[in-house]
Amino acid sequence: MSRKSLRRTLVASLLLLSSISPAVAELYAAASVTLAKAKTDEVNLSAAKALFDTRSACFVDARPEYTYDKSHIKGACSLSDSRFDEQFPDFRQKITTGTLLVIYCVGPSCPKARHVAEKLKKNGYRNIKVFSGGLVEWSHAGFPIEE
Amino acid sequence: MATIAFPSRLITVLRLLLGAVFIISGGEKLLDLKFFGLVVAEYQILPSLLIPAVAILVSLCELLCGIMLLLDLFSRISASVMLCMMAIFIAAMTNNLIRGLEHDCGCFEFLAQWYGLKEEIGIGPILRDILFFILLLPVALLGSNRNPWQKSHL
Repeated sequence: MSRKSLRRTLVASLLLLSSISPAVAELYAAASVTLAKAKTDEVNLSAAKALFDTRSACFVDARPEYTYDKSHIKGACSLSDSRFDEQFPDFRQKITTGTLLVIYCVGPSCPKARHVAEKLKKNGYRNIKVFSGGLVEWSHAGFPIEE
Repeated sequence: MATIAFPSRLITVLRLLLGAVFIISGGEKLLDLKFFGLVVAEYQILPSLLIPAVAILVSLCELLCGIMLLLDLFSRISASVMLCMMAIFIAAMTNNLIRGLEHDCGCFEFLAQWYGLKEEIGIGPILRDILFFILLLPVALLGSNRNPWQKSHL
């Protein structure tokens, strides 16, 4: 490849790069907004405790019922990811769609809380928060637990 | 046709060992039927309506078969019933593993409570049930089928 053609290729690639960079930047921005939106419905330990203390939210346990039966956040109700369809009719009768829900699982690595949140959103519940720290963080902090 | 000679003492040891295991397993399930029912529900195989009945049936079956094996009453029938149950447990756990479900196996909860061992469905509990299946075979095939009405041969 001659020196002249190499320079042409370089200029062409720079032009191409500059033309697509705004589109890439826009994509990146959209992704960040989506990510930020996804994170906004999460609450940390102190926020969850504040909601618990003021009794302004209903805590929902997304773990299987047999683990809920062993221990759960005081006053929480069970709506497991695995048996959502079976438990939901009862849940819907007790909890109105406008109620603020704080959904939790074992800990941050457990995806069940987010799964239940998505299912509840599909069923008309809009006021949903996910407490990603879960029961592990709650119990480590020494906050009230029911057995 | 050549028959396999199986020492009767070995059959007795297997019978006593398996009897004790099934008494513990069935007994602990009966003591906390609600918990066992909820674990059965997690398998997502049975309709909700049948779950309490199946939980009672499985627990009672394990306990009764365990007692029968220990007392050497209807040993072959008891071992055969347990063989069928082991086959069902293995099939249910394999089915759930293939479906990617994660939950307690409902086998020996006391192992989790006393020793902190994880009693979740997986290769471990499946292999354990296969071992029980193999150990039950000699009792089911060669064990005695003594019953309380049978006259003892003196």
